[in-house]
Amino acid sequence: MALVQFRDGNSGIVVGEQPAAGTSISSKARLNGINLLVSAIAVALIVWALYWIVDWAVIRAVWTSEDGSACRVADAGACWAVIHVRWRIILFGLYPYDEQWRSAAACLVIVVTAILSCTRPFHTLARLTLLWLVGFGSFIALMRGGVLGLSSVSVNDWGGLSLTLFIFAAVSITGMPLAIMLALLRRSRLTLIGKTTAIIIDVVRAIPLLAILFTVGVIIPFGLPDALVGEKLYRVIAAFSLYFACYQAEIIRSGFQAIPTGQEEAAQALGMSYRQRVAYVLLPQAFKAVLPPTVNQFVITFLETSLVVVIGFFDVLASGNAAFGTAKWGIAKIEVYLFVAAIFFTFTFSLSRYGAYLERRGAPNAAK
Amino acid sequence: MIRFTAVNKFYGGFKALNAVDLIVKEGERVVVCGPSGSGKSTLIRCMNQLEQHDTGSIEVLGRTLGDDLRATDQIRKDVGMVFQSFNLFPHMTVLENCMIAPQLVRKQAAENAKDVAMDFLNRVHIQDQASKYPSQLSGGQQQRVAIARALCMSPKIMLFDEPTSALDPEMIGEVLEVMTDLAEEGMTMVCVTHEMGFAKRAADRIIFMSKGEIVEDGAPDDFFASPKTERARSFLRRLDLTPSTH
Ligand SMILES: Nc1ncnc2c1ncn2[C@@H]1O[C@H](COP(=O)(O)OP(=O)(O)O)[C@@H](O)[C@H]1O
Ligand SMILES: [Mg+2]
Repeated sequence: MALVQFRDGNSGIVVGEQPAAGTSISSKARLNGINLLVSAIAVALIVWALYWIVDWAVIRAVWTSEDGSACRVADAGACWAVIHVRWRIILFGLYPYDEQWRSAAACLVIVVTAILSCTRPFHTLARLTLLWLVGFGSFIALMRGGVLGLSSVSVNDWGGLSLTLFIFAAVSITGMPLAIMLALLRRSRLTLIGKTTAIIIDVVRAIPLLAILFTVGVIIPFGLPDALVGEKLYRVIAAFSLYFACYQAEIIRSGFQAIPTGQEEAAQALGMSYRQRVAYVLLPQAFKAVLPPTVNQFVITFLETSLVVVIGFFDVLASGNAAFGTAKWGIAKIEVYLFVAAIFFTFTFSLSRYGAYLERRGAPNAAK
Repeated sequence: MIRFTAVNKFYGGFKALNAVDLIVKEGERVVVCGPSGSGKSTLIRCMNQLEQHDTGSIEVLGRTLGDDLRATDQIRKDVGMVFQSFNLFPHMTVLENCMIAPQLVRKQAAENAKDVAMDFLNRVHIQDQASKYPSQLSGGQQQRVAIARALCMSPKIMLFDEPTSALDPEMIGEVLEVMTDLAEEGMTMVCVTHEMGFAKRAADRIIFMSKGEIVEDGAPDDFFASPKTERARSFLRRLDLTPSTH
């Protein structure tokens, strides 16, 4: 090992000496030549890759084929037919075929609720709470049925995109207040409370999410009486939410630390109560300071929702697996994954764009 | 209005206030001076309980401060404070800075709070900056906003902790002018400052502190003409060498 390293180092020196040996002008010219060559190669590679992708994904692609036979001819490109034929499985999982419009409507409800909660008029606690109660209420009514003449569908049959969105939205909406609470408790002036919260946060962060999900999904039902167990989906959301909150609490805490102590003193001197100081002085400044890592945390959480597959939930990625899991469509694995990736990308990219917009909006007053 | 009786304050083992007795009457303008670390900030911050004293009693506006947190809340509504580092809320406009406490604490309606705020911003000559954010203002302007913000709560007492120490020399005048106006209107003021010109002009009394004790307490003319203690004499001598710093 040491010998190899020694030889590497040696040859590096020799290569390094060569340009230095010539006059500075010729070495510059040679460098320019190398630059040009490297650029030309890079451009050629990119053009070739682009051509290959367009050729595969568009020119030679198979757009429709009821049974996938057209995808199996020798020079067939991307098999988009799989999406055409199986998109409902990918988006809706095992949800009853005739009722899938409900699952689509439920997705729409969550997306609209999320977009509305990003707009100014809903930026008060009361309105935001009401909005999400209505949003989740209609989501559950649509998905579960049993009301307004909708036939009932078991939670075990929920799946696909609506399940992914529901888990993500529920985790975010319950996890964020929990995170704020943990962050506030952690900076409590009573050391016992502060220390206990710190230990809880550190313990949860030390356990892999997979282990947590497995525990609440599979192990807890064995240990507890049925009445206490509750529905698996909600146990998973609760655990996921705690996990999210512990990470987000640390992010918020770092935001608190970025605020000069004079801010809280000024608010105290004006007679503002603890709650008022937290709501109007501390949290707005803390969130502004930690906006980028917070958006990051949301994006990670969105991607992590696909881990629920380990305890038997059919999120959109798992339903994607089901879509090519037959003899007919086994060849179209990549196409399905690309499609699912595009769905994930749409959501996470929108999240980060919204984050960037918030940062820009906050810019004038953040500037020193 | 303010009555300190045998007040002691410790930071760990360090005694920051040592048996302080002090009475400030209604309408009095008191300037507190003394070397750095002598306990001036601690003294003034005990008056609105940003620091809790350990022994002795503090009475402000007829309420005894200490364990009774409701008394503290009440006192903070009626006692305004201006800090060395302004401490404006950076995420709010100048106007919002002035409206927030009256709305939340005094439960004033928004229009009412806005009228009051604009009135005080006028008085500190900064009404045309109302919609700007603090970071867009100069230090002197920020400190005048901070004074207006405190006044919007219609306080009965105003506390100032070195309000001009963080300012560039050319901005000190505009802030002192606002404070002098306030003094002439009869506001009860306790002001930690080393601006001796302001003290001569506006103060009824000067308190000189050293090592956590009130060493001298008297009329400005007497204090400047014939300080009684050697510590005050050497303090004044050093001020004269380096005017308008610290
Ligand atoms: N939070 C604190 N913890 C420990 N010591 C402090 C604290 N605040 C002030 N002190 C000490 O108390 C003394 C008086 O401080 P202060 O009242 O700020 O003085 P001044 O305002 O006159 O400069 C100083 O020696 C300072 O170091
Ligand atoms: Mg001080």
